[in-house]
Amino acid sequence: MNLSFFDQFASPSLLGIPLILISTLFPPLLLPSLNNRWITNRLSTLQSWFIYLITKQLMMPLNKKGHKWALILTSLTILLLTINLLGLLPYTFTPTTQLSMNMALAFPLWLATLLTGLRNQPSTSIGHLLPEGTPTPLIPALVMIETTSLLIRPLALGVRLTANLTAGHLLIQLISTATIVLLPILPTMSILTMMTLLLLTMLEIAVAMIQAYVFVLLLTLYLQENI
Amino acid sequence: VLHSRPLHTTQQCLAPLPPLPEKGGQVRHGLIPEEFFQFLYPKTGVTGPYMLGTGLLLYLLSKEIYVVNHETVAAVCILSVIIYGIKKYGADVAAFADRLNEEKIAKVSTVKNEAIKDLETAIEQEKKEQWRVEGRSYLFDAKRNNIAMLLEANYRERLLMVYNEVKKRLDYQVAMQNLKRQKEQDHMIQWVEKNVVQSITPQQQKESIAKCILDLKALSKSAQAAV
Repeated sequence: MNLSFFDQFASPSLLGIPLILISTLFPPLLLPSLNNRWITNRLSTLQSWFIYLITKQLMMPLNKKGHKWALILTSLTILLLTINLLGLLPYTFTPTTQLSMNMALAFPLWLATLLTGLRNQPSTSIGHLLPEGTPTPLIPALVMIETTSLLIRPLALGVRLTANLTAGHLLIQLISTATIVLLPILPTMSILTMMTLLLLTMLEIAVAMIQAYVFVLLLTLYLQENI
Repeated sequence: VLHSRPLHTTQQCLAPLPPLPEKGGQVRHGLIPEEFFQFLYPKTGVTGPYMLGTGLLLYLLSKEIYVVNHETVAAVCILSVIIYGIKKYGADVAAFADRLNEEKIAKVSTVKNEAIKDLETAIEQEKKEQWRVEGRSYLFDAKRNNIAMLLEANYRERLLMVYNEVKKRLDYQVAMQNLKRQKEQDHMIQWVEKNVVQSITPQQQKESIAKCILDLKALSKSAQAAV
């Protein structure tokens, strides 16, 4: 089938039935499920070790009340990681390239941190709007700036993830098109382009993992301020 | 086996769990299970599955059921990166997982082994105590002999003391008697001498002297003759 560059970002549907739900929930299902055993097989052991590592890293800076967020943040990390990494395979659809999905993840979680802070410790929460040690004449301007930065956080979270992944996928598409087109014309250039593509693929794998981690990390940062 | 097992006829029996198989299912080229090759072996021999794969691939390509487009190049890149990663780090990751499991088992085994060791030392000490109890009678005999000897020595000491005291008293009496006799003797001698001296009259004195001179002369004569 002849693909345009944007077919990979189209929300998948089969005979008019939207498949977006399955495609979002499917990647984490590939991971091994909980086992009754104490000593499991290699895959389950590695998964437990990895989840333990992530949870420890995320929960270390938080106080005891923040540990209530452990489950949702760890599951979010695993979801984003699997979705991003599986999206690098050919002919796959990556749900996190859709702005709607990322905003749906970022906005409620950010709002939850904000409301927790405003409810439990309102003065500290609002006090974060002014950094320490600012000279007095600058205070009004700085409060405005900090408020803007606060309100733009969900937008930044969602758009960061979307933009990184979409850009990466698009670049892969473009460079592979260049490789294919150059193959009969200038094979040497084609080979060089292929090398670029290899490096880009490795970059994309790194970006996939990093973006997932950064998303959740920023959420924990927002949580630290507010809980 | 899966189809013949009746479903949910009794309560779930959670322990003991059946042991995990030693190795996972055998796969050829990392993807295709060995059972597939065994399935085709009787009819098509060793090259059967490979012919099937090649034929299928060529059919898909030539009939343009699978179109070579830019995704193909991207697929080649990502697959080569994945295969390289697995080949290079696969064994290490497996060893790491095995090590995690072994550490888990080792931690618990050390507790068990130390408990066993402590109990064994306790058993040995108990046996030693029992052996000591057997020797108790010898201990008591020795102590009894010791005390008997002490008593005997004490008795003899007192006996000696008594003997010495009695001897001292008797010696005193003997010495007294001797002294008395000595004194009597001396007194008598003195008395006798005194009386004798008193009884010597002057006449007797002269007579004795003349006799002595005569004796001497006689002696001198005999003496001269001897010379």
